[in-house]
Amino acid sequence: MIYFDNAATAFPKPEAVVRRVSDCLTSCGGNAGRGAHGGAMRAAEALYDCRATAAAFFGADSPERVVFTAGATAALNMAIKGFLKPGDHVLISDLEHNAVFRPVYALARAGKITYDVFPTYAADPDATPARILRGIEKRIRPNTRLLVCTHASNICSVTLPAQEIGALCRRHRIRFVLDAAQSAGHLPINVEAFCADAICVPGHKGLLGPQGTGMMILGRNADPEPILEGGSGVRSLDATMPPDPPERYEAGTLPLPAIAGMHAGMETVRQIGLANIRAHETALWQQLSERLRSIPGITVQAPHAKGSVLLFHSGTLSSEAVAAALDKRGISVRAGFHCAALAHRTLRTPPGGAVRVSFGVENTAAEADEFAEAVEEILSQS
Amino acid sequence: MVGRINGDFRDLPDETCTAPIGSVTQAMHARDILARNGIPVTVVRNDPATTRHGCAYAISYPCEKERVIRAALRSAGIRWRGGTRI
Repeated sequence: MIYFDNAATAFPKPEAVVRRVSDCLTSCGGNAGRGAHGGAMRAAEALYDCRATAAAFFGADSPERVVFTAGATAALNMAIKGFLKPGDHVLISDLEHNAVFRPVYALARAGKITYDVFPTYAADPDATPARILRGIEKRIRPNTRLLVCTHASNICSVTLPAQEIGALCRRHRIRFVLDAAQSAGHLPINVEAFCADAICVPGHKGLLGPQGTGMMILGRNADPEPILEGGSGVRSLDATMPPDPPERYEAGTLPLPAIAGMHAGMETVRQIGLANIRAHETALWQQLSERLRSIPGITVQAPHAKGSVLLFHSGTLSSEAVAAALDKRGISVRAGFHCAALAHRTLRTPPGGAVRVSFGVENTAAEADEFAEAVEEILSQS
Repeated sequence: MVGRINGDFRDLPDETCTAPIGSVTQAMHARDILARNGIPVTVVRNDPATTRHGCAYAISYPCEKERVIRAALRSAGIRWRGGTRI
């Protein structure tokens, strides 16, 4: 089996992750932050250790700024809906995943906010950060309160200049939320250096943890309103959520075994090193891109941007047909629109979308070669 | 728990005090900051009967260390709500 769908979820998970989840399921007899018996305190220690690691990993001010969520989508909903108030205006990029676009669109459709989409020029090899920033500045209104954008596209390897966008937002007193669903575990991210109010990450992609995990990493002075209320284990006599993070945003019991697994995943990423991961994935991208572009009828989208995600389409077979034929050969990729209508429109992919190949730390050059040969064979038989 | 500490108890070396911090996360963060300052403390559950808001966590520490603990936590931005001798 060749697994090239790491942008959907990383696979296989490191042995350390599997072990940590299993250990926690069998030994964590208690609910973190609920009571003080030995098991509850051990559970709380496990959560705290993960927060401390994540705070260091993402440059957060303190472990309290790390809020556990059910994934990047949950984190983005919390940040977007927590920061916005009726009458606000929001900016999003033309590369957004539905995890950003749909919450913003839903608020706009309900008449609560307005939004504009700024161009990223993702298909243009000569696009510069300055050009993107000019596009943003042109769209800022007096009531613009929030900018939400992706750090790295989920359909190609285009990245946005997050640090420069964050600095621009800070100058204009606009809140900045970064969707790091495809960059966490691949690229360096620092919430304070990026001037971000919230960075939203999944635990199960680049961080190599189990599904059902994610984090909202809050900037030093960020205080979105909670969108979820319930038990938090603290200030139980109050009718409102506690005033301080992270418990302010964490109503209900957290999935401790999964979070412990995410912690082990983060440690694995740290041990391998972001630079090594990036170099490995970029080398695979380069190798496969060259092979695919040599096959007649194949178009690689945004070929100027190298990284962990490669998008292509064939002039003769639909993306779903290519993916289905690959699956029969034991190769896993994802076809279609990848929950990112805006991004597909920006890249002008054909009707039916395109085939996404997404690399992970476990993939090899031999797999990339085998993949190219399989595509060549599939197209020659069509 | 008995009376609130209002003074300097450095002259009572064997006594243990507790100070409410807030959530278990905040209490563990306080513990880590103090450990980095060479002061080992323990995270404990605050007696709900002594708090206005209900459940909370506290740190337990040697009373004679209170002044330095207070200073270390304040410089880390952690609110000091006073200590209590056990």
